Amino acid sequence: MTVPDAISDTRGNSRARISEALTRFRDVKFFVPFASGSLAFVVGAILLGSAGIDVGDAYATMFRGAFGSVFGFGDVMLKTISLLLAGLAVSVAFRCRQWNIGAEGQLYMGALGGTLVGISLLGAVPGIAILAAIVVSFIFGALFALVPAVLKVKFGVNEVISTVLLNFVALLFISFLLHGPIKAPGFNPYSPEISEESQMPIIFPGTRLHGGIFIAVLATVGVYYLWKTKIGFEIRTVGANIDAARYAGMNITKSVFVTLGISGGLAGIAGGLLVIGVQHLLIEGISPGYGFVAVIIALLGRQHPIGVAIVAFFFAALMTGSETMNRSLGVPAAFAMTLQALILVFVLVGGLFAVWLSRRNRGGAR
Amino acid sequence: MKGITIRFGEVVANSDVNFELRKGEIHALLGENGAGKTTLTSILYGLYQPQAGEIYVRGKKTTIKSPNDSMELSIAMVHQHFLLTLPHSVTENIIVGLKSQGFFLNLASAEKKIQQLSEKYGLKIDPKAVVGDMAVGEQQRVEIVKALYRDAEILILDEPTSMLTPQEEKALFAMLESMVRQGLSIIFITHKLHEVMEVSNRVTVLRGGKVVGTVNTSETNETELAKMMVGRPVIEDIQLKSTAQNDIVLQLKNISALNNSNILFLKDLSLELRKGQILGIAGVDGNGQAELAEVIAGLRKVQSGEIMMDGRSTTKLSPRKIREWGLAYVPQDRLNTGLVLEYSISENLVLDRWYTAGYSGKVFLKQEEMKKFAEKVVVDFEVKTPGINVPISSMSGGNLQKVLMARELARNPKVLVVHNPTRGLDIGAAEYIHKQLVKQRENGVGVLMLSLDLDEILTVCDRIAVIYEGKIMGVVDREDADVDRIGLLMGGKSVALEGTK
Repeated sequence: MTVPDAISDTRGNSRARISEALTRFRDVKFFVPFASGSLAFVVGAILLGSAGIDVGDAYATMFRGAFGSVFGFGDVMLKTISLLLAGLAVSVAFRCRQWNIGAEGQLYMGALGGTLVGISLLGAVPGIAILAAIVVSFIFGALFALVPAVLKVKFGVNEVISTVLLNFVALLFISFLLHGPIKAPGFNPYSPEISEESQMPIIFPGTRLHGGIFIAVLATVGVYYLWKTKIGFEIRTVGANIDAARYAGMNITKSVFVTLGISGGLAGIAGGLLVIGVQHLLIEGISPGYGFVAVIIALLGRQHPIGVAIVAFFFAALMTGSETMNRSLGVPAAFAMTLQALILVFVLVGGLFAVWLSRRNRGGAR
Repeated sequence: MKGITIRFGEVVANSDVNFELRKGEIHALLGENGAGKTTLTSILYGLYQPQAGEIYVRGKKTTIKSPNDSMELSIAMVHQHFLLTLPHSVTENIIVGLKSQGFFLNLASAEKKIQQLSEKYGLKIDPKAVVGDMAVGEQQRVEIVKALYRDAEILILDEPTSMLTPQEEKALFAMLESMVRQGLSIIFITHKLHEVMEVSNRVTVLRGGKVVGTVNTSETNETELAKMMVGRPVIEDIQLKSTAQNDIVLQLKNISALNNSNILFLKDLSLELRKGQILGIAGVDGNGQAELAEVIAGLRKVQSGEIMMDGRSTTKLSPRKIREWGLAYVPQDRLNTGLVLEYSISENLVLDRWYTAGYSGKVFLKQEEMKKFAEKVVVDFEVKTPGINVPISSMSGGNLQKVLMARELARNPKVLVVHNPTRGLDIGAAEYIHKQLVKQRENGVGVLMLSLDLDEILTVCDRIAVIYEGKIMGVVDREDADVDRIGLLMGGKSVALEGTK
């Protein structure tokens, strides 16, 4: 307990009462994220205004873009699939206190896996092709995520650095393939189109929303139950307190491998679905940075699958809305990213503020 | 101090406390953890403001709003954990923060003053020495000189002996006596009765934030004080029924191991623990106790040597295997190693056995079984908890230790290693833990107790070994134990433990 804490404990009841009221607000779990998110939109409005754009019009267009039409909402759900899977990927790793910043790279490797199935003989077998594409994209993503796991366990390489750098490896590797070994005839660096049998069907006519949404939901439920399994308990313990895990005889190496494997696999599926559900071929830049936004989503969703799902949906709407804003009002597409970053900053600061408040209030009870 | 009352939220830390300190006395403030000793002195030191009550210093009513105010009044406090900068010299540590120093430091004059102070009060200290190189007892001296340098007349010492060997303790008491002779007044916070008897003139006992009474030390005794402190008679006279102590259940042969800085720390250490025996490892903190416990638990690799448990070598086994073979281990760091604070009681209780058939199926944990186990432990060990499904971070130290003990004892171990099992616990909880250890002993378990508290070791152990700088200095039966000799060994002096007294 610090000196100012002690003073605030005893001096003036009014101040204590105010902070008590604030704490009660904080206890309503969504207050801080909500207030911080709103503040981000306020600052965003200032930015828009200073660029000479009608703020009301811009935000209205944004909202309409996401929720104003069936097609638009379908796109929100479509983006939710990718963001949710990638967000789950990062959050699973977080629970084991592994910072997987490499979801983007794992997503690309997964996309490659899905493509390879789709353009191979296996992709021509009806019924099996889709499942095979998903499984292979999981495996590709998982194997690629095991590289940082091995580096960490064998050589003590910090996974933050290795996962970040491996993103470049994956993206450049995909570029190389698309310019040579798997390039389709023609001018563009595209892969051949995948077979019709391996394409994920659209589930809602008039939109681009495909069956991958069920896989994303399944993954959310799966992650929820993962923490109730034996291996999940081990992973959680390693993440919560590595000394206690070691002391209790848990296998830390195994936990790190399993965690990063699952994490990379989920990101891989996100990539595979982009190929078999949306593009139907592999291109450079198939993901607009879903794997990076996923880090923000995992943080804001507090690594809980439901939280991640909510935040992923929100970010999908934000991205879809800003695309519309970009098309019809000419607001730079970068504005969406700015807004995402603002939300992250405000929510993180809001979280710290909440911690500070609760410390202040608990201070005396020693 | 008159009628001091302070509340922290719902908790009343001090209630209508009256306390007076006479000039030139050592006044002991005695009480269990949480009795309000530190709070009371912190008020005097200006760290907290009381909600009611008045403070008079030298007959004048004063308000002390901050440590700066108390410094003006010549009140100084030596905290339990020293506030020293280790790479700096004694002088630098002492003058830090003093306003009398200009832009450039005047070290020479400061050194001179320190020299004078140390001669006046018999505090041997080298002003040029680097604090990081000093023993704990010497560092404490630096803290005291720091207070004296600021012209302190009232000195508050918070549990000053918790880190000292018996000899250092004696030296400290001698210094304190010479300081009072020079006119200083000292408040001595402690929970150890023999210290009160040894060093104080008067003693005020606190219990649950209230003053139980103030008595002259010469007119009281330890039994009476203990009763005042706990509120009921305390007789922790543990009778060790003789048990058959034949088979060696744990044997360490010439163990060498590194510490966390990769320095050879355990050197050629050998030990024998028998069935139905409590073997105590006495020593000053940081002499290899943690490393020793970790080596036995398989958490630290040995460089050489062998560990045998029940006749089988466990030297190269994993921590899990060693546990499965019959080790239970209560680490000293119960919060960060023994338990996971954000977990519930039931999750903490299966931390070491979540994979066994009793608590999990092929894939999932058996939540029902975990719950049953937790409910049983809460009843059997009298654990006070808001619920078995809430994070244990809200529970008190004593109850956390009970949960930890419960988990380890439920293993039905052959060997039980406990490290500082009662540190930070109140007398009631400590007594409970000791009884559990004795019960294990009677069941034929070999108990290895590493403790910094020599009184504790002398109370419950059959045999006592002293560790110093990673070496066992000697082993002795309790009946033959001589505190002075043990103290010398703890300080690294080679003497025979057994033999003529």
